[in-house]
Parts: sequence; structure tokens; C-alpha cells
Amino acid sequence: MQIRVKCNCGDGKCSEWAIVELQGVVESQLAISDQINGLEIGHLCCSSSSSSSQPSYILTVGYHELSGTKVQLKKPLLVLQKKAAADAAGPEFPASSAVELEVIGIIRQKILFKTRPKALISRKNISSSKILRFLATGKETFIIRQPSKDQMLLSFNSM
Amino acid sequence: MEGETNGGWGGGAESVLNLVPGSSISIRYHSLFGAHDDFLLLEADEALLPDILHNRVTIRGQTDEEAVLCTPSATYAMKFVGTSNSVFLIPPGEPILPCMKDTCNDSKSNTSAVHEVVPSVIKVASSNMELVLVAPRLDKLKSLLNERPYKLDEDVETDFQHNRSLYRWQDLLEQIQASEQELRDGLKALSAAEIDGFWRIIDEKTMDEILNMVLNNSILHGWPLNALKEDEVVSVLEADGYPRNITLRCLETFGNMVESSGCSLWSLDEKKVCLRFALQAVGGGKMKLEIFLQKWRHSVPSGMHADLKMLEGEVLYEKLGFETWIRAFRVSALPSTPAERFAALFRERPRWNWKDLEPYIRDLHVPGLSSEGLLIKYTRRSQPSADVEPNFSAR
Repeated sequence: MQIRVKCNCGDGKCSEWAIVELQGVVESQLAISDQINGLEIGHLCCSSSSSSSQPSYILTVGYHELSGTKVQLKKPLLVLQKKAAADAAGPEFPASSAVELEVIGIIRQKILFKTRPKALISRKNISSSKILRFLATGKETFIIRQPSKDQMLLSFNSM
Repeated sequence: MEGETNGGWGGGAESVLNLVPGSSISIRYHSLFGAHDDFLLLEADEALLPDILHNRVTIRGQTDEEAVLCTPSATYAMKFVGTSNSVFLIPPGEPILPCMKDTCNDSKSNTSAVHEVVPSVIKVASSNMELVLVAPRLDKLKSLLNERPYKLDEDVETDFQHNRSLYRWQDLLEQIQASEQELRDGLKALSAAEIDGFWRIIDEKTMDEILNMVLNNSILHGWPLNALKEDEVVSVLEADGYPRNITLRCLETFGNMVESSGCSLWSLDEKKVCLRFALQAVGGGKMKLEIFLQKWRHSVPSGMHADLKMLEGEVLYEKLGFETWIRAFRVSALPSTPAERFAALFRERPRWNWKDLEPYIRDLHVPGLSSEGLLIKYTRRSQPSADVEPNFSAR
């Protein structure tokens, strides 16, 4: 069996995808767990750090804050998509499988959050409006967003 | 669909990667967020990208084999590597928000500028594939082609299933986990020939017969063994009923081409020819070394000199009392993967000294592992004292 790897991007024109990587799992609140499409995960903020040329990134998810950096991948990652082969019955591949892989993108860098998150608040059962007020006034954050039912919680596996 | 293939996922990867210091951006789940099992991540060395991006790689293997990825010249094992991190995949493309291009184009020209750019996560990737350079898996090639070696007297016409166990180039690409270059090299190493569109190993007896015809005719016509004229050899043998391409394969197997002024000349390789006669002399059993040497030296073509050094990796010697016996034990008949090779060697002999062992492992090439590393991995080395040759036994 042969599965062809195809690329229609042409010479070095593969569109670049991005990765945001963090420890643990982002979980939605039970009530909305099935329907997260289109909902906001969090806020990504790029801050110019004075010490180095590398800017630092802050990702706020619910009441957790992570800090990370942009990392160049040692080896690029190709995004492949499994597709039905266009010419599976062609003479060149008589008995080949009916699928092929198409290169649809390339990833060369990611925003990596490798540290555990910092809790912006520790009290549970705080109401949405209080979070908003807290976020708006908390000194380490300058993100103002509308916490709503699409708010995500970060839950951590033991890692 | 058109939009998708142009990278128009509306994912906004660019705005994540190009986020400037002092600014921030909201990240959300894509409206098409899901498991997307059809998306795979493949880690590839920068040097491999040109082959991949120019459609020169293929994944090969049967469903019960581990998949390999082949470039035109190399073979890579594919390993799934999992991660416990959350890897959010964000596709590229200007985010498409409701009321973009189509409806708003007429009224306002610059509507997109007022929309907030929201990068969207399409999938959380739990693993990616890594590539590890490996040796091509050519043992299967040998066994496929050995199903039905070519014989001079085979009569294809009367064989009802005459295509059974015969393989065309494309069939081999389907079956063998090797790059095209490695497959070509593998066929060459097996002295295989393309006969009527099928790749065949030529039966040893057939090969011997043709070699003898070449040698006999060289005496008859006074051909020098180091400058056989290809056209002459081929046409003389063709007249005797030996197909042209089989004769050519025989010349390739036992000689080297030396071109001179437009005419193809072949020089027979002393070692290869003598080896063939040695294997004929020793046959399938074992033989006293003295008797073997007599028989062998007598059989080789005049002008060629039989030397036991030619038989490294082809025969084993055994001391029984005062006498040394010899018998065929050919490295080419052994498996080519290191684990199986060493297992076969230690089945033959529990203990090997280095001098005997080396010819049977020198062809093993494992990317990333030296021959020293191979020995450490697959053998136990014992050396009773410093002035004694070390022995190797199974681990």
C-alpha cells in the first residue's frame, strides 16, 4: 500500500499555522461543555520585557494567568490532512489505498506556556461580575474582557 | 472548499505570531473546532521539506506493518509521539466574521478594519509524528523474488498462472518498505533482472550455466577476460539460445563495465568468479579444506587465482581433530535486520571470534548506531585475558 503525501502549496508557500501550547487541559464549565465552538478561551497579551529582546506573552484563561514565550521549533511541523485520493484508480498507483495526505500548512513557531498558571483569584464561587471587577482593577492584569458563560477554567493534571 | 485550500480557514494564526509588544488579542474556539482526526502533525527536518513540498514522498507499508515514509532516496520510520500538554492548533487566514466581504463590499470599502481579529483554535493536538531514518526493509524483497526465480527452461506459455509470484516495479513499490533508490540498489544487490516487465532473481544454476558459456566461448574465440566485448558475447550466446538480457545480467553480476571508445567492454571480476566456483566446489555439505582447495583451484578459469580471502562471509571453517573442514555459510542468505541477523549467527555458533564474525556483520548499517554500538546491543563480549582474542556470544 502506498499513501502519497501531496502538497499544493507550491514552492515554500505553505501557509503558516500557529500553536499555543500550555500545560494541563482547558476545560469548560459543565453547563456548556458540549458547545464550545466559537467561544472565547482566553486572552493573549504580548508585553515588551525591558530586560531582553524576547517579548513575553501572557495568557489569561478564566481566573488563571500563564506566562510564556514565543519558541522557534527545532524542526518544523507539517499539518497534514487525510483526504480521499483524487486519482486512486490511476495507472500509476494500481493497488494504492484510497487516501492521500495533503500538506495544508506548516508550523515553525509556537507560543509556549511551560509554567504552571498563577491564580488571579483564589476564592471559589465568585460571581461573574466580581471577576470582571477584579480583572479590571487587579494590578497585574490589564485585560478587560466580558466574562460570560463561555468562560473557561484551567484544570491541571499532575504533571 | 476554495477558501480552505487557499489557507482561508479564518483562523488568524498570523495575528498570534505577529502580535506586537503592548497589544493583546482574544483567542477562541473555531466554529469548526473538533477532534479533526483527519489532521495530523508531522515533524520533519528542514532538509526533508523540499521533498515533501514537491510531492516526492510516499508512505509505504501493509496494514500489518509499521508505516515508513520514503523520500526518493531514504526511508524513515514514523513514530507517534504523544503529549500531555494542550497544543492548540490555530489555522491561518483572515478571520471571517459575519457580514464581511459579500454583503458589505458595496456600502463600505473598509469594513474589515473595524472587526476585531480573533484567532481561532481548530483542534487540540494530542500527538505528532516523528521521523527516524531507518534502513530499508529489503528482506521481504528477497523472499518475494525467491518465490519464483527465473530459469532458462521455464515455459511461460504453458503456465496457466504465469503471472503468479511475479512482480512488476509498481508491485514492488506497493509491497516493499524502501525508497525507490534503495529498492533499485536492493534489486541490483540481488542481481535481479527485469524480464518481460517482471523483476526476477535469476536461478543460480542458470547463472552458472551462462557464466560457463561466457568462459568457454572466451577460450574458443580468444576473448580476454578483462575486456569482453558486450556485443560479441551477447550475440554469440544469443545464437545458442541464451536471452540477451540474461547474458547482460550475468556480465553485470560477475564483471564490471569498462567502456572504451564507444564499445561496451566487460572485465570479469576475479573475486566474484572465483567465489562462484568455490560455492560450486563445496556444494551443500562440508568438505575437508585440502580437498576443497584442490578442487577449487582446478576449476577456476586460467589466469584467475583462487584465494581463501575471497570467501569471507561465504564459508565457515571447523576444526575436527587435526583436520579443517569447510562448508558454505553465506551472509547473503542471512536476515538483514540486526536482531534477526545476530539471532541467526548465534544459532549457527554460540560463540564467535571477531575475525570470523566481522564478515557477517560488516554489511549491517543501522542509522545512528556504529558497529561498536551494534556489538554492545546484540552481543556479550568476553575476554578471559588481555592477550586473548575476545569472544562474542548471545546476550
